[in-house]
Amino acid sequence: MIYGGALLGVPLIIIVLLEVQMIKLDHISKVYPNGVKALDDVSFTIEKGEFVFIVGNSGSGKSTMLKLLMKEINPTKGHLYIEDKEITKLRRGKIPKLRRSIGVVFQDFRLLDKMTIFNNVAFALKVTEAPASKIRRNVPMVLSLVGLSKKTKMYPTQLSGGEQQRAALARAIVNNPPILLADEPTGNLDPKTSWEIMKLLVDINLRGTTVVVVTHDKEIVNAMKKRVITLSHGKVVRDILRGEYGHES
Amino acid sequence: MKARTIFYLIGEGIANLFKNRLMSMAAVTTITACIFVISVFYIVGNNVEYILDTVETNLGITVFFEYDTTEERILEIKQLLEVRNEVHEVTYISAEDAWETFKVSYFEGKEDQLSGFEGDNPLEDSASLVVFFEDLDTQKSLASYVESLPDVRYIRQSEQVVDIMQSINQLVRYSSLALVVILVIISIFLISNTVRLGISTRRQEIEIMKYIGARDSFIRGPFIIEGILIGLIGTAIPLVIIYFLYDQATVSIAGQFDLLKNFLVFRDITTIYRFLVPIAAAIGILIGLVGSRLTIGRYLKA
Repeated sequence: MIYGGALLGVPLIIIVLLEVQMIKLDHISKVYPNGVKALDDVSFTIEKGEFVFIVGNSGSGKSTMLKLLMKEINPTKGHLYIEDKEITKLRRGKIPKLRRSIGVVFQDFRLLDKMTIFNNVAFALKVTEAPASKIRRNVPMVLSLVGLSKKTKMYPTQLSGGEQQRAALARAIVNNPPILLADEPTGNLDPKTSWEIMKLLVDINLRGTTVVVVTHDKEIVNAMKKRVITLSHGKVVRDILRGEYGHES
Repeated sequence: MKARTIFYLIGEGIANLFKNRLMSMAAVTTITACIFVISVFYIVGNNVEYILDTVETNLGITVFFEYDTTEERILEIKQLLEVRNEVHEVTYISAEDAWETFKVSYFEGKEDQLSGFEGDNPLEDSASLVVFFEDLDTQKSLASYVESLPDVRYIRQSEQVVDIMQSINQLVRYSSLALVVILVIISIFLISNTVRLGISTRRQEIEIMKYIGARDSFIRGPFIIEGILIGLIGTAIPLVIIYFLYDQATVSIAGQFDLLKNFLVFRDITTIYRFLVPIAAAIGILIGLVGSRLTIGRYLKA
């Protein structure tokens, strides 16, 4: 009986501790050398385990945001934190380690055509110098998770667009990264396939991965009822939990 | 970097070599051509130097003495000369030797005419010393020294031959050096061009590797292995070809210049290769490495 209160309190404490700020933008501005102001004083926080859409028209600053998160470019002003670490000050040699904590998928899949699906996924582990035993164990696991167990020996060009995107997803999560960035993941896919991919992203999110999806697919955003951050002309014009794709953006 | 990664990168490098067959072949051909020319020049230069060395020691000055110089005095001078560093060898040719040689070469076939000379040596005062040198460069100074010695009547030397030999020697040395430098620059340029042509598929690969968190060394690894391998293959091909052609070539050259048969002494190919193989391998690997480094460096930075 003495422990009753404490036992009840434990899950609460854990939940509070898990509220890690996975991604934090602190007054970020980005001005390109040609004078284009891509991001203008943007601040927001994404917690661990969130599923977030970032929406906006072309030129709204979406792509710049993604490039900042992957540290392809540096902000002109402001601070950017990933897993509570400031990455704006990261040395060049530490970038690979950062990228291993962020899985990425692209609109155009970016699989290596000369490798089988298995090897494409295994490749992500090989660059981290993972032991062969881990590769043999993890790759079939994620491939079955994305529903490609029967196509591991095929080449990307032999697969449909949806299947290729599944393979790309498998590659992105095989390292168990805490963050998954998806850049227009359904941009090249028909609506039915798009939904399958979104369902997979939700599954991945349920496993604890923080998922950030950049898109301008109105239908999907409206139906998913997730957090939506709307960018317009480099500013955050709306940030709504269980939101929709705004009209004016 | 872990051992298995190194093995993986080597494997990738070898695999890339075959995957980009056309580019690899172009690069190997370029290096092959370059190393072939470098090797031929090295071998020619080496042999010319070797032949000159042999000729140098065969080209002596002949020293003649005053009419009443005794044999003892001549042998004394011989000893005096022999202790000098620049002297390779001194041969004494007595008056009798001189007459015997002269008889054979001059009266060959006309032996009947010799009867009048019986018991008489017309070359009585022609005893001489032939001095051979270690190096042609010292001939002139030594000649003037010998000339200043007492009892020396006059000396005969082959100054013109010496001058020509020396200038040939220098010409070969400088022209081959210049050619090698030009060739290396041309091949690096050609290789980086061929690599650039084949890189469009690689660019995508490099980009993906960067996104999934590959270190620069991991991305560069296979390219470096590939560069080294291309360099090594490009070096091995011409060296093997030359190895098997060398004997034939030297024989046919010696046949072409029958007159110079005694001068044309060629060096053994294994002796030449002792120096040439490491030099050629170093140049080949260097070209392969620089060529591939130049190209990937640009894509890594982007």
